Amino acid sequence: MYIYRLVFLLVLAIYIFSPNILDWWTAPGNAWYSPYIIWAGLIAIAFWLEWRRDPNEF
Amino acid sequence: MSFSATGLVLTSLLYLLLLFGVAWITEQGLLPRHWVRHPLVYILSLGVYAGIWAVYAAVGMAADSGYGFLAYYLGISGAFLLAPVLLNPVMRICRAYQLTSLADLFAYRYRSQWAGTLVTLCAGGALLALLSMQIQAVALSASILAPDSSPKAMSVLFCLIVLLFAILFGARRNQNSENHQGLVLAIAFDSVVKVSALLALGLVVLFQVFGGMDGLDQWLALNKPDAGSLTLTLDDGSWRALMLMSFAAALVLPHMYHMTFSENPSPKALAKASWGLPLYLLLLALPVPVILWGGQALEVDTDPNFFVLGIALALDSPALALFMYVAGLSAASGLMIVSTLALAGMVLNHVVLPLKTPRDQGDIYRWLQWVKRLLIAVIIFCALLFHEAVGQHLDLAILGAISLSGMLQLLPGALGVIYWPEGNRRGLIAGLIAGLAVWLVALVLPFSHTINPLAWLDLPLVPNYDNWHIFTFISLTVNVAVFGLFSILSASSAEETSAAQACSLGALSRPQRRELLASSSDDFIKQLAEPLGYGVARREVERALAQLKLPNVEYRPYQLRRLRDQIEANLSGLLGPSVARDMVKRHLGFKPLARGATGQDIRYVERALGDYQNRLTGLARELDNLRRHYRQTLQNLPIPACSVGEDGEILMWNQAMATLTGITADDVVGARLAALPEPWHQLLEDFNRGEDQHRYKHRLDLRGKPHWFNLHKAALSGPDHPEGGNIILVEDQTETRLLEDELMHSERLASVGRLAAGVAHEIGNPVTGISSLAQNLKLETDDPAILDTADQIQQQTRRISTILQSLMNFARTGNHAQANRYEPVSIRRCVQESINLLSLSDKGTRVHYLNQVPDDLQVLGDEQRLVQVFVNLLTNARDASPDGGHIRVSGNLDSYSAIIEVIDEGSGIPEDQLDHIFEPFYTTKAPDKGTGLGLSLVYSIVEEHYGNIQVESPADPESGAGTCVRLRLPAYQPESGDTAAAMNERS
Repeated sequence: MYIYRLVFLLVLAIYIFSPNILDWWTAPGNAWYSPYIIWAGLIAIAFWLEWRRDPNEF
Repeated sequence: MSFSATGLVLTSLLYLLLLFGVAWITEQGLLPRHWVRHPLVYILSLGVYAGIWAVYAAVGMAADSGYGFLAYYLGISGAFLLAPVLLNPVMRICRAYQLTSLADLFAYRYRSQWAGTLVTLCAGGALLALLSMQIQAVALSASILAPDSSPKAMSVLFCLIVLLFAILFGARRNQNSENHQGLVLAIAFDSVVKVSALLALGLVVLFQVFGGMDGLDQWLALNKPDAGSLTLTLDDGSWRALMLMSFAAALVLPHMYHMTFSENPSPKALAKASWGLPLYLLLLALPVPVILWGGQALEVDTDPNFFVLGIALALDSPALALFMYVAGLSAASGLMIVSTLALAGMVLNHVVLPLKTPRDQGDIYRWLQWVKRLLIAVIIFCALLFHEAVGQHLDLAILGAISLSGMLQLLPGALGVIYWPEGNRRGLIAGLIAGLAVWLVALVLPFSHTINPLAWLDLPLVPNYDNWHIFTFISLTVNVAVFGLFSILSASSAEETSAAQACSLGALSRPQRRELLASSSDDFIKQLAEPLGYGVARREVERALAQLKLPNVEYRPYQLRRLRDQIEANLSGLLGPSVARDMVKRHLGFKPLARGATGQDIRYVERALGDYQNRLTGLARELDNLRRHYRQTLQNLPIPACSVGEDGEILMWNQAMATLTGITADDVVGARLAALPEPWHQLLEDFNRGEDQHRYKHRLDLRGKPHWFNLHKAALSGPDHPEGGNIILVEDQTETRLLEDELMHSERLASVGRLAAGVAHEIGNPVTGISSLAQNLKLETDDPAILDTADQIQQQTRRISTILQSLMNFARTGNHAQANRYEPVSIRRCVQESINLLSLSDKGTRVHYLNQVPDDLQVLGDEQRLVQVFVNLLTNARDASPDGGHIRVSGNLDSYSAIIEVIDEGSGIPEDQLDHIFEPFYTTKAPDKGTGLGLSLVYSIVEEHYGNIQVESPADPESGAGTCVRLRLPAYQPESGDTAAAMNERS
C-alpha cells in the first residue's frame, strides 16, 4: 500500500496547487495554446508509460 | 438565416436514424468483431462523458471564467491518467463479481442492500438535472436555429427518440457477450461527430474569421482587455470544485461507470484509454477558446453558451450550423441513452428486485428485459417532467453543477471500496445521508427556486451562482467526516470485512473452506430451481460450469465452492449483487459449522497467489519464491504424500502419490477422501480417521498383484498453525517384502537341508544292516521266491542309499563350510567320464551322446564335483529324450568364461516350471524316478565355482522341442596361474 499512499499524496498536492499550476501555464507572456501543449506532454508521458508497461503489472 | 422547425426535426430524425443504422449493423454482426472490440472504439465510446456541456456550455464557461473551463476536462483526464491505481482495481472487482453499476459495487462491498438503494436514489436524483440539461440544450439550440419551433415539442420528440433507441439497443441482453456492442459503436460514432464538428468550427473560425494564427494573435493583441479575461479570471474555488467533480465523474457518473467498466472489452483497452480519453478531451477542448474569440470578433448576439450555433449563423453557413446542431444532438442523445440505461439497471437491481423477486416467471430473462424497458421509459419521463417543472428555468452551468455535486457524494464510498477496508456500511449510509441532506438544502432547493432554507435562517452565507462551490465542499466534507467517524466507531460484520478484503488493493480474499449442503452440481440445479425455475437454474449452472471449464457433473467440494462463487457472480450480473447474494446464501447454503472456525481454502489462496505472481515485488516476492520452493519440494518428494483437511478434504497430492495411485492431483485436490476410487478410499479414509499414527505392511491388491505399504501420519496443526488435518505418507514396501519372503524361503530350505543330512546319516546305518541281512538271507536258502525277495530288498536298500547319498551331497554343498581344492579341469574329460558312467546304465543305449567340447577348454574346479554336474544334467537330458535321440554337449571360450551347453531333443520344460527347476525336491518325474535334488545340486556346485546356469526351453524354436542348459564358468588360462591360488584362498 506504500506506493498508493505516495500516489495519493502526489494527487492531493497537484489538486491543491492546480490553480497555481494553471496560472503558470496561462501566464500573460505565454501563447494562448500553451496549456494544451503541457496537457499534450502529459498525455505523451502516459502513452509512453502504457507502451513500456509490463502487461502483468497491476 | 433560419431553419424551419420541420427541417430541423427531419435532420434530427435522419441523424438518429443513422445512429440506429450503426447500432443495427453492429448488432447484426456485419462489422468485423476486431473492429467493434478495438480499443479505439472503446476510447471513443468513453467520449460519452462530453455531453452537451462540451459542445455548448464549455464556450459559455470560458467566457465567464477563462481557462477555468479546462477543469471539466482535466479532472477526468487526471482520473484516467491514474487508471492503474484508480480504475484498474475497480475494473478487476467488477469483472470478477459481475458488478454492472456503482450501486452494485457499493452493495457488494458494503454488504448492504440499503447502500445500493441509497446510491441508486442519489444517482437518480442527480441525473435528473443532467438529463434536464441535455433536453434543455437540444430544445434551445433548435429554437435558435428555427425560432418558430416549439421547445416543448422538440423536448418531447427528442425524449421519445432517445427512449426508442435505449429500449431497442440498450435493454437487450446478449447471453454470449455481456456487452451491448451496437450501443458502444453508436456512442463512439457520436463522439467522432462531436469532435469533428468542434474541430471543423475551430478551423473555420481560425482561417475565415481571423485569417490564420497570425491574424488571431493580432486580434488578441488588439483586444487584450476582453481576450485577457480568458487567462485572468481563474477562480480558485469553482475551479477546484469543478476539477474534483470531473475527477469523480470517472467513477461515480452512472454513464461513465457503465461505459468504462461494464462495456469494457479488455483490460488492455482501459490501459489505452488512460491516455486515449485525455487525448480525445484535449481535441474537444482545443477549439473552445478560438470559438469564443470568434464569437466575440463576430459580435454574435447569442448567449456565449450557444456561440457554436451563433458563429455558424453569423458566417451564413447553413451546413455548418446544421453540423453544430447535429453535434449537440449527438452529445445529448449519447449521454441520455447511456445514463438512462445505467440508471435503469441500478433501479432494477436495487429498487425493483429487492421488492419483487421474479419467482413465478416462466422466463426470467424476458421478464427482466421488459422491466428494464419500462424503467427506461419511466426515467426519461421523469427527466422530461423535471425539465418542464424546474430544469428549463435554470442555467446550463448550474444544472451541471447541481448534478455533479450530487454525484460527488458517492466519491468517498467509491474510494473506500479500494483504499479503505475499515470503512463500513453504517459509516457509508450515514455519510451519504448527511452529504445528500446538505446538498439538497444548500444547492438543490435554493437553485431550483423552490425554497431557500439557508436564507430563512438568515445565515451569513447564502447560496448563489458565485459561491455554489463552497456548498459543494461543505456537503462533501460533512459526508467524509460522518463516513469516517461512523466507520471507526461502529464494528463491521465478518461478511463485510471479507468483502472489503476482496475489494481492497493487493489483498487476497481468504475464503473459508466450508462444506456445502449440495454434494454435486446437479444438486445446485435442484436447489436453484426453487427461486429461478428449473430451466433458468439449469442454464445458469451449466453456464458457470462452462466458464470454469468443469465437467458436466461436478462433485469436488473445492470446485463446488468455485461454482457457487461463479453462479453468484453471474446472477449478480443479472439481478444485482444483493439479490444474487441472498438467493445463493439461501438456496446454496453451507452446512452448519461443527466448531467455531474452519480451515482456509488453501487451494483458493494458492491459485490466487499464482495469478498474482508477476505483481508481487520486494519482500512479498521473496516470500512467494520461498513458498514455491517448499511447495516444489513437497511435490517432488520421492515418497508418496498427501495432506488432508480436518473435514477429509484433500489439500495436497504430490507427484509420487499420483504415480503410485494413477490419480492426478487435478482430479482429487479439493475432493474428499471419500471420493477416491477403491482401494485408496478405504485405505486412506480408515487410516486418516483411525487412532494409529503408523500402520505397517498393509497389504493391498493392485491390478491383481499384492502390494505392501507402510503408512505414517502426522497432525498438520502446530503452534503457528491452528488448523487441523493430517499429512499422510505412503511408503511402498513391496520390494522389501518380496526380498524378505525370499530370504525366509532360503532359510527354510537350509533347515530342510540340515535336517535331511542328519536323517540321512541316521538312516544310513540301519539300511546297510538290512542290505547285509538280505545278502546273508541269499546264502541261507535256495528257495527261488525267497532269493527273489532278498534281491528286491537289496535293490530297494540300494535305492535308499542313492537317495541318502544325494541328500548328503546336497546338504554338504548347501553350506559352504566345506573347502574345495580347485585345480585346472578339462571339461571335455569331465563330460566324457560322465558319458561313460551313464553308458554303463541299461538305459543309456537308447540315446546318442555327442561330446563336442574342445580339448583345450579348461576351468578351475573340483573335477569330481564337475563330473557330478554333468552326470546330473545328462541324466535329465537322457530321461527327457525320445528313443534314438541325440544329446549334444558343446563348449566354447567367451573372453574369460567357458560356456558349456547341454542340448537335448526331448520334450522341453514348460514355461511355468522353468522358475522352479532349481528348487530342491522339485521334480517333474514320476515319484520313483527322481528325488528332485539333481538340479539343485548342479546349481549349488556351479555357484561354488563362481559360475551361473541358464536353461532355455525350447532349445529349437522351430520345432518347439529340446532343452538347452548353458553353464558359464570362469575359464582357466594357463598364463594366469595365480588365479587358481587366489580362488583357493578365497574358498
